[in-house]
Amino acid sequence: MADLAGVNGQREHFRVVGKPNLPGRLSYALATGIAKFGIDYVLPNMLHAKFLRSPYAHAKVVSVDTTKARALPGVVDILTWEDEDIVKLSTGGFGPPKPWLDNVAHEEGAEVAVIVVAESEEICEEALRLLDVEWEVLPHIVDILEGRKPDAPVIREGIPEVPSMFAMGGKDNPPKQGNVSYSYVIDGDIEAGFKEADHVIEYDLTIPAFASHMPNPPGSVAWWEDDPYHAPGKTLHIEGAVQRREQIAALYGMPPEKTVQKGLFQGGKYCDWGMRRSQEITPLLAKRTGRPVRCVNTRAQTYDFLMKQRYMYLKVGFKDNGLITAIDDFSIADGGVPGSSTFGTSGDQSYGPYYTMRCKNIRQRMEIVDSNRGMMYVSGQHCPFNWDAGTMAIYLIAEKLGKDPIEIAKINLHGPTSQDDPNPVPSFEACLEEGKKLMNWNWHPAGTKKLPDGRMHGASFRYQICPRHAFSGYDCKLEYRNGVVHLPTQGPVTGMFAVEANAMVVAEELGLEYEDISIDFDYREKFTPVGGGSDGTTASAWAMKECANILKQRLLEAAIEEAENPPRPSAMFAMPKPPSPFKGMNLKPEDLDLMDGKVVLKADPSIGVPLADAVSKNIFATYSGRPPDALWSLGMGRMLDTMNTAYCEVAVDTETGEVEILRFGVVADPGKIMRLTSLESQIDQVMYFSQGCQLLEDFVYDKKTGVKLHNNMIDYKKPGILDVPRVDRKFLETRAGNAAYGANGISHSLANTHLVIIAIHNAIGVWVDPPATPDKVLKALGKA
Amino acid sequence: MSRGDQVKQGGNMTLTHEAAQAISADKVASLPATPAQYRCPICGKICVNHEDLKFHYANEHPDAIVPIIVKLNVNGKDCEVLIEPHWTLQRTLQFQLGLTGAKQMCDSGACGSCTVIMDGRAVLSCTILAAECEGKVIETVEGIAANPKWKTLIDSYCRWDAMQCGYCTPGFLVTAKALLDKNPNPTEEECREALAGNICICGTYPRHSQAILEATMKMAEGGE
Ligand code: FES
Ligand code: FES
Repeated sequence: MADLAGVNGQREHFRVVGKPNLPGRLSYALATGIAKFGIDYVLPNMLHAKFLRSPYAHAKVVSVDTTKARALPGVVDILTWEDEDIVKLSTGGFGPPKPWLDNVAHEEGAEVAVIVVAESEEICEEALRLLDVEWEVLPHIVDILEGRKPDAPVIREGIPEVPSMFAMGGKDNPPKQGNVSYSYVIDGDIEAGFKEADHVIEYDLTIPAFASHMPNPPGSVAWWEDDPYHAPGKTLHIEGAVQRREQIAALYGMPPEKTVQKGLFQGGKYCDWGMRRSQEITPLLAKRTGRPVRCVNTRAQTYDFLMKQRYMYLKVGFKDNGLITAIDDFSIADGGVPGSSTFGTSGDQSYGPYYTMRCKNIRQRMEIVDSNRGMMYVSGQHCPFNWDAGTMAIYLIAEKLGKDPIEIAKINLHGPTSQDDPNPVPSFEACLEEGKKLMNWNWHPAGTKKLPDGRMHGASFRYQICPRHAFSGYDCKLEYRNGVVHLPTQGPVTGMFAVEANAMVVAEELGLEYEDISIDFDYREKFTPVGGGSDGTTASAWAMKECANILKQRLLEAAIEEAENPPRPSAMFAMPKPPSPFKGMNLKPEDLDLMDGKVVLKADPSIGVPLADAVSKNIFATYSGRPPDALWSLGMGRMLDTMNTAYCEVAVDTETGEVEILRFGVVADPGKIMRLTSLESQIDQVMYFSQGCQLLEDFVYDKKTGVKLHNNMIDYKKPGILDVPRVDRKFLETRAGNAAYGANGISHSLANTHLVIIAIHNAIGVWVDPPATPDKVLKALGKA
Repeated sequence: MSRGDQVKQGGNMTLTHEAAQAISADKVASLPATPAQYRCPICGKICVNHEDLKFHYANEHPDAIVPIIVKLNVNGKDCEVLIEPHWTLQRTLQFQLGLTGAKQMCDSGACGSCTVIMDGRAVLSCTILAAECEGKVIETVEGIAANPKWKTLIDSYCRWDAMQCGYCTPGFLVTAKALLDKNPNPTEEECREALAGNICICGTYPRHSQAILEATMKMAEGGE
């Protein structure tokens, strides 16, 4: 049930929250190119730095002679992994501690062993060519099916297995063998579940590897400057490590006050939260050379992060009515290079899409295979986890029983409170009802519907929860100064307009307009509205709403105080204020309200004073806290509040193998819409992500050498404006979430890897692995 | 009493359209007519002029190729720019003229983020050598932003959130402006075709035609 927690969670009328077409506070900077990203910074007298990058998928630098490189005119500094300054740097990230720069490269293109600093990037490159490097080429794994074989070369001897920090039952996992770590989770009685079943289906699916979605190549510029106003010593100024100022400060043992970063624009992150070495090394190089140093990745070097590839083999038992009784899930997942996260491998098994189902007999066994493919920080943007396995199961059961998959989903989804709750989930029911209308939903079995133009028609459906994050708290501050409400924030600006939604909430609560709130960006501030997808907005806005109401109370108290005892004007010759209509009324704060920019009498709102006149003193309000835990994080799917449904229709040309997405449909219940225009855009975005990874994007390696073949934007194809289909969207506001006003946001819950793939199967009756390129479709049809 | 009088406008504290326009105009106005510095890109020595730099090369770096001067007309200003012969136009704009609007995303002509208008055509500044641009008339997003004529277009872009992270956005905006120069009244299909070379990883595509069409309607009405 709805839990509209917090102050004014039950607000019914909204003047500001939910409004469309309010420009973002830095939209003009972005549109006009004023906004500077890390790689845009150019300083006078600036040096450039580049890393030696491995031409091999797995190799060790045995020795390196830098003599010739040092002699090259324009070379200013060269460091190797053995230099004391480098050894002193420590790494963060996932897994056991690692040297900041090593002499072993775990993927092609990895930074390894040497950094060169020179007057220009070209001189850096020339110097790198002049290094005498003795390489020891090591065996590599870029095909995890090969890597798991008992006779495969072991690529990471001695390195501890993937930590199963999120895996339940991790202690019972078998020990690592060869390249393979294990993560097993067993719930219920799987044997009994299969015995109970009337039918058993077995199927497999491949979740492809795809690259992160980083629009701006990462990089930084750093310099040291005199700063007489703080403690002794130089101040570090770095740009290009947005939101990581404190991490950089810690890396260099600097107090945060002496670490400056003013830039706000970090570009799209999409769960690629890993810092690149180019973003961390410049302070050291600037210190050593006494000059600003710039170090940036090229686009090719930005293909160093992958969404995890995963092969899944599933066996599902179900009753005649479609109710699932047992799920046996075995998968082989890419463990990536050292430092990769466990999200999407062992981590996903405690985040249970399966737990949205009534079935309690589930076994998940996963092999996590070390590879030389790339870093896998967090694979959440496409939420591969198990959602697509569940979606597939529902589709296959429907096919087998000749029933609509929506009906199968309804039978299997449990109620809002537990896996035993027989009641429907209101948000889900509402999404389905609208979804059927939106799509003119009329399910047909696979391979049975031909379009008038001769192509085959396919449709698919999928549900998901809206998994708002609630892992962090927020430190909010509002300042009322000279008649204006200020919202100080450190940024960053990532594209989800999070601080704008916070400002809208403040305006709503204070009876002001969005434009009245001054968003003051300042890197020294504590408040940051980010928290993961659009949910960060709803979670931080919950805390900001509390803060706004504290400020409101203080403003009303001050208005009464100033009405009774008007302060003397602070300017020398200023006229005293006219007497307040509230004077002598013996009011309490609860007798007043803020409305349309005025302090008004609740009993008669026609009596009021403009806020700026009613309160002349400066007032601060702070609030530290976080919204109630999101239900999904408490119940991992066993408790359900806001949900969403997605649909896809395709036309497949069986002669050419071409797949056209006729349209996507999305009915989402974010609980409460905070900022409509960006919410719509986020829906478009995730559907295009889904399109990209199912039809276009392909991460290809040369198996023999382990070299990446698609690390450019021509071969690694992202959808363009002519590729993308129509996205029909509909939002519902059930207020069933428990962030601001019952919102949950949509997070990245809609991105997926199999919605289109299932629609293709529904069209032609055969499976095509993503990306479903025409050649693969023809092959699946036996035509190529 | 109007509401504007009642409440002090906080919006002035952050970047409004007017502020962005003023900053862009300032960037255009401060484009240097001649190189601010004749710095040797190999050893960093500051020379007094181009002749001095050539002399320095002859003595110190006899095997290296001497930087050259290229004359460009950027956003209406004639600029003599000191470049190395292999520099792209994108790099020249960023490193020598301080213009950060032509963003480098792919560096290989595949994304459109670095789009500028050259002699009336939208081109990719990462694939053009600055040395080939002698005498060319170049318009960047800063020039467009500084020109009040395009306020309506930029406003529409911002009203419609035709950006998420915003990295690709200036490239789209320049392409849109080049389209409107030729076709002030495009259809949605024509907008999409014009923007076919621009990649937005954040997937803002539908917003661009929406913004362009709204702007053209408002511009045709002569208002904002
Ligand atoms: S950076 Fe020029 S086209 Fe991509
Ligand atoms: S807005 Fe991020 S790449 Fe387009």
